[in-house]
Amino acid sequence: MPVFMIVWLTPVFLAAGAGGAGLLRRAWLDRRQDRPALLLGGWGLILIAALAGALVQGPVKGLALAVLMLSLGALLVVLAGAVRRSPRTTRERSLAPEPLEGPSRAWRGWLKALLAGPLGMTAAMAVAFCYSAWAPGDPRTRIVLGGLMMPILWGLAMTWTLADQKLLRATAVLAGTTIAGFGLAAVRGLL
Amino acid sequence: MKASIEREVPRGWPISPATVRAVLSGHGLLGLAFAAIIYLVCLTGTIAIFAPDLARWEQPGLPVVAGLDDRVLNRAVEEARRQAPAGTTLYVTLPTLAEPGGTIVAYSETFEKDWAIAADGSLVAHHMPFTDFLIDLHVALHLPHSIGGFVVGLTGVALLSSLISGILAHPRLLRDAFHLRLGGSRRLQEADWHNRLGIWALPFHFTIALTGALLGLSTIIVGVLAMLLYKGDTAQVYALFIERSPAVNAAPMPLPDIAPLLEEARRRAPGGYPRQMMIERAGQADARIAVASDRDHMLASQDMSIFDAQGRLVVDRHPQDLAVGTKILGGISQLHFGWFGGPLVRLGYGLLGLALCVVTSSGVTIWLARRRDKGRAVPLWERLWAAVIWGQPALLGLVALLALLAPEVGARWLLPLWLAGTMALLLVAGLLRTTPWAAIARPLRLAGALCFLSLAVLPLGLGTLWPAGMIGTSLVLLLLAVALVWPYRRRSPQSERARVSETTAP
Repeated sequence: MPVFMIVWLTPVFLAAGAGGAGLLRRAWLDRRQDRPALLLGGWGLILIAALAGALVQGPVKGLALAVLMLSLGALLVVLAGAVRRSPRTTRERSLAPEPLEGPSRAWRGWLKALLAGPLGMTAAMAVAFCYSAWAPGDPRTRIVLGGLMMPILWGLAMTWTLADQKLLRATAVLAGTTIAGFGLAAVRGLL
Repeated sequence: MKASIEREVPRGWPISPATVRAVLSGHGLLGLAFAAIIYLVCLTGTIAIFAPDLARWEQPGLPVVAGLDDRVLNRAVEEARRQAPAGTTLYVTLPTLAEPGGTIVAYSETFEKDWAIAADGSLVAHHMPFTDFLIDLHVALHLPHSIGGFVVGLTGVALLSSLISGILAHPRLLRDAFHLRLGGSRRLQEADWHNRLGIWALPFHFTIALTGALLGLSTIIVGVLAMLLYKGDTAQVYALFIERSPAVNAAPMPLPDIAPLLEEARRRAPGGYPRQMMIERAGQADARIAVASDRDHMLASQDMSIFDAQGRLVVDRHPQDLAVGTKILGGISQLHFGWFGGPLVRLGYGLLGLALCVVTSSGVTIWLARRRDKGRAVPLWERLWAAVIWGQPALLGLVALLALLAPEVGARWLLPLWLAGTMALLLVAGLLRTTPWAAIARPLRLAGALCFLSLAVLPLGLGTLWPAGMIGTSLVLLLLAVALVWPYRRRSPQSERARVSETTAP
């Protein structure tokens, strides 16, 4: 039964992903004016397909399947709309922003690595485990949600510390978060 | 300059143009620091999705049953119990139509063996050295599991951070969501691939990075949590999620008949079907038989009936009895590896996994091209990166060939071959100072294609019969071989001239 359901749902999700992306593409290609109807139609189709997946195959399994196939459907539209240019040796200018570049000192690099790595990890753990210790609800749910929060918080800390040029501020915030978070969580353990 | 930056960052974007540039700089730094390991973990993970198919492809004679009668299963369990030392835990996986092939794994601290169950209940030992090699490389890089798991978990966090900074650093994300310009400037083409694949597969890539990071970091998470909340006793954390073991009673007692236990588990989980069994301390008075059942609309088993050595039901849990945390935990591995929906889901995971490999490799290529455009080329890094991205598929193909040609002898040599090959490729790429990166990429891509082609057709040469499921694996291998050599097909003289001139600008 489940295998047959997935065989049926796969082309439906692929078509919905391609259809939704197709409408969005038309909306965004017209740069002179907003096309709210196309935008609404595109996002609406994708959302309805995801909700249908959740209804038919369960909230997690159905959504996972829908997200997978909708992404593939949208990528089909991107591939179909690829523009082939004649090879050239002259450089075409990219409109994307350029990264910040400038002279950098080695100690700043090492400090950034420490902030993004070990200190970012401990700060993320401190916040996540403070949640696990003090949030209301079943301890198993708190622990698993805390565990899921930890990599996300660490990732955010990495993003921030690698972008922030004020290293002292980043160090103070991460160290303060670590001490406060671990302290609060440890208090719960002692109670 | 300021006006130009502001033109690049559209109105309404939540962060300032200067911050966008700083985030982009951090995105590049993180990508460069972790690129090789992210690429390796993504590449091996993409192949590991197909572990069930690879196992069958490595051992074509393996029985693959779509269903098993309870009496036959009972015979198989008895046979496994006879072959394993007393006290060994047996993990039984029952086949379904979506995931055919029943297996039994016998595991204790001193013994490990796994078998496929034949239609008559007899057992055939598994021997899949390449699949085992690949999964261990993906999960722990062949390092001790606590260290390797942490490194892979850290890689997952770096990937998560790259995804977050990648979104923040691309203000034209929606406006350019469908731009894919091929064949022009190589840097622009790579940037288009990087951004389009990155944005449309973002929910999938985020899920994979998050679940992978959590799986890799689980040991350290449990350790620190136990230190904070349970005076360092990790067993107390695990006890929240695992049923407590009964008191030890080593008196001999035969294992009860499995068939009525499975029937009882079915009765207690309406709409469910037994999918896994864990048999602990078989042959002793304190034996336990846990039957976990799947339901069609659930990602992982949420029905569990546990029986004692006399076949009495001692624990009975169903979805409504489980905490949300337990349900989430059960689904994390399924979601990460894509082992919840049969071949179509695996294929989808494989395609988006491949997309993540392209996103990783193109990220570094863009950085290298930008350096070259600004007159600050780094040819050594260009050569090393070519050796990594095209060397790894070729090396994994070579390792798979060795496993297929000499399964018994080869098993011991897979890791040394891969390690020595990786080192040698990096060394050679580093030493070839006058060679452009394209001249390193080309032979590696051809070698990879040759390996995949050999892997696709070799089972015929070895005289083995292809079960229907294996034809799909061989077709995928053939497609990969074609994809590797596709850029080298015959071109018009004009485009060939342009291509050659670009070999100095990755």
